[in-house]
Amino acid sequence: MLADRCLMTGPERLSAATAVDDEQAIERFLRDVERRALRMAEFATRQREEALDLVQDAMFAFVRRYGARTPQEWPPLFWRVLDSRIHDWHRRRRVRGRWLAWLERDEDAPADDPILALADPAEPGPLARLADGEAAAALDAALADLPLRQRQAFLLRLWEGLDVTATARAMRCSEGSVKTHLSRALVNLRSRLGAHR
Amino acid sequence: MKNGPEEPWIGRTLALLDRSADDLDAATLSRLRRARHAALEQPRVAWRPGWLLGGGFAGAALALALAFGSAGRQALQAPPRLAPAPAAEAFVDDGPEFYEDLDFYAWLDAAQPSPHD
Repeated sequence: MLADRCLMTGPERLSAATAVDDEQAIERFLRDVERRALRMAEFATRQREEALDLVQDAMFAFVRRYGARTPQEWPPLFWRVLDSRIHDWHRRRRVRGRWLAWLERDEDAPADDPILALADPAEPGPLARLADGEAAAALDAALADLPLRQRQAFLLRLWEGLDVTATARAMRCSEGSVKTHLSRALVNLRSRLGAHR
Repeated sequence: MKNGPEEPWIGRTLALLDRSADDLDAATLSRLRRARHAALEQPRVAWRPGWLLGGGFAGAALALALAFGSAGRQALQAPPRLAPAPAAEAFVDDGPEFYEDLDFYAWLDAAQPSPHD
């Protein structure tokens, strides 16, 4: 290896060094985002195994298609790929769900009661009880229950820290849509988490 | 968490999210690491800027247009197919009798003196 490097000419050595730098840069980028990507996928699927598969697919597609781009372009592109994988997963699940619902139709099953789903106004709210650890579970549930676009807007814009333009690029929608989804997500989360108290 | 939230509850929410990402178990982290390494080992699509790609397509289209234009011009300028020579044409409609009588015509030609003679 060292001998190979010694035999290289100046430009070859520079090119090899750049390639190594690129390799390290993209690995650093993936290492930085992979945990948050997993959590985002987990909110969407509610299953860790499925979420791991989605993140792995997203990493493969991102490196293959966009690995040669400049590092500044990577964040919105990576999240865009993951967002696309999550959408595909939901689409497949909807189709499968329709078939299963048709096969396992049970008219005696009780319908979901929307009154039961409302937050109890007398309840102090989980974020008021951070110490007991229920807040994390409540947050997971609240995020998982958000509509997909609202959740993505909240996580990408506020947690991941993308600006509105990059978030819109990652979500493949207009900047106005990002603002709308984010605003609705905040209203929903505030209501679910009792943060207004 | 990268942004400074305006409302305290958002800050607490993002802190919880950070903690949930930091507290992943070892098996999950190992799978993420393996996935990352596998993704990095695959070949990548070479990226070209959009304008270069557009220029490439335009160049290819231009080259094709020139090639077809040149071929069209050559087709237009191609010499017409040669018509059969009159002598050959004369033989085309002659039946086998003509060839049988060739000796006779040769004799007649030799026997009759030319008017110029």
